[in-house]
Amino acid sequence: MIGAGKIKQYSNILEKPLSKGKQEVSLSAFAFLFSELVQYNQTQVDNISELERRLEDAGYAVGARVLELLCHRDKGNRRETRLLGILSFVHSTVWKVLFGKVADSLEKGTEHEDEYMISEKDLLVNKFISVPKDMGTFNCGAFVAGIVRGVLDGAGFPAVVTAHFVPMEGLQRPRTTILIKFAEEVLQREARLG
Amino acid sequence: MIVCVAVVGHQNNPLYIQSFTDADDALKLHHIVHCSLDVVDERVNNPKKSGPTLNETFLGLLYPTENYKVYGYLTNTKVKFILVTTDLDVRDADVRNFFRRFHAAYVDAVSNPFHVPGKKITSRTFADRVSTIVKSFGLSSAA
Repeated sequence: MIGAGKIKQYSNILEKPLSKGKQEVSLSAFAFLFSELVQYNQTQVDNISELERRLEDAGYAVGARVLELLCHRDKGNRRETRLLGILSFVHSTVWKVLFGKVADSLEKGTEHEDEYMISEKDLLVNKFISVPKDMGTFNCGAFVAGIVRGVLDGAGFPAVVTAHFVPMEGLQRPRTTILIKFAEEVLQREARLG
Repeated sequence: MIVCVAVVGHQNNPLYIQSFTDADDALKLHHIVHCSLDVVDERVNNPKKSGPTLNETFLGLLYPTENYKVYGYLTNTKVKFILVTTDLDVRDADVRNFFRRFHAAYVDAVSNPFHVPGKKITSRTFADRVSTIVKSFGLSSAA
């Protein structure tokens, strides 16, 4: 029908139609939810290591599901069997989906054969968190460490993953490093594959 | 006619088995699915040299038995989907399409925060989606 209709101006935000939604979540909503998660766990435990373990378990569940989801979305997908393959998958694809950018760097540890590190100048989950002095070396990046552990475990690379602060020159806040230590069987399998 | 679909976890534990005919014995179908797991493992461990890339998800026709055909599909996390059908002429593309939709339904079911990985899938939504996919498979290949 041809009409001389005007484009509707929505004066009141409540009258705007709901959008389909973007693939993004607002940072403040996530930060709020995450802070609640940390506070809730704090009331349930007595010490720091227990708190870290709980955050990591929460992340593990997320990691397992993220792996399934990414493998399905990424059509024509190949299953990663090599160590470097799965590490670069975590470093770029997983980070891009979760945080919108790739991780800052991926390094191989010098002391031990089975250690790898993913570092990030400013971890998204730690953005609005400052740890009081009496909590020592507690790092909320344990949640992200749990996610990485979930992804690696689901892909068949059992590992122990932890998060650490590494003070850097020239930066006010210390850099966060996710340390990945693979299990013995992974290294043996890798050596066998050549 | 699809007779049975199954989802098997990475330690060969059954996560979801559903049969779609009343006639056949459910136990026999379980047994067929169980035997096909061996074939899956064999395919994964000894890839044919002339085959496509090493890490294909769709495994194709696993083996034909009496009057059934069994197809397999392997995901990245070593979760296997098994499809048992009595159709004599199924197009490859149809089966791939079926598995693609089945994979989507599976990912949605696993993304549920209340689902414990390793336990059976108890979501009714997943069961409904699977029956829809199965029904539309029958119609599309009959056309």
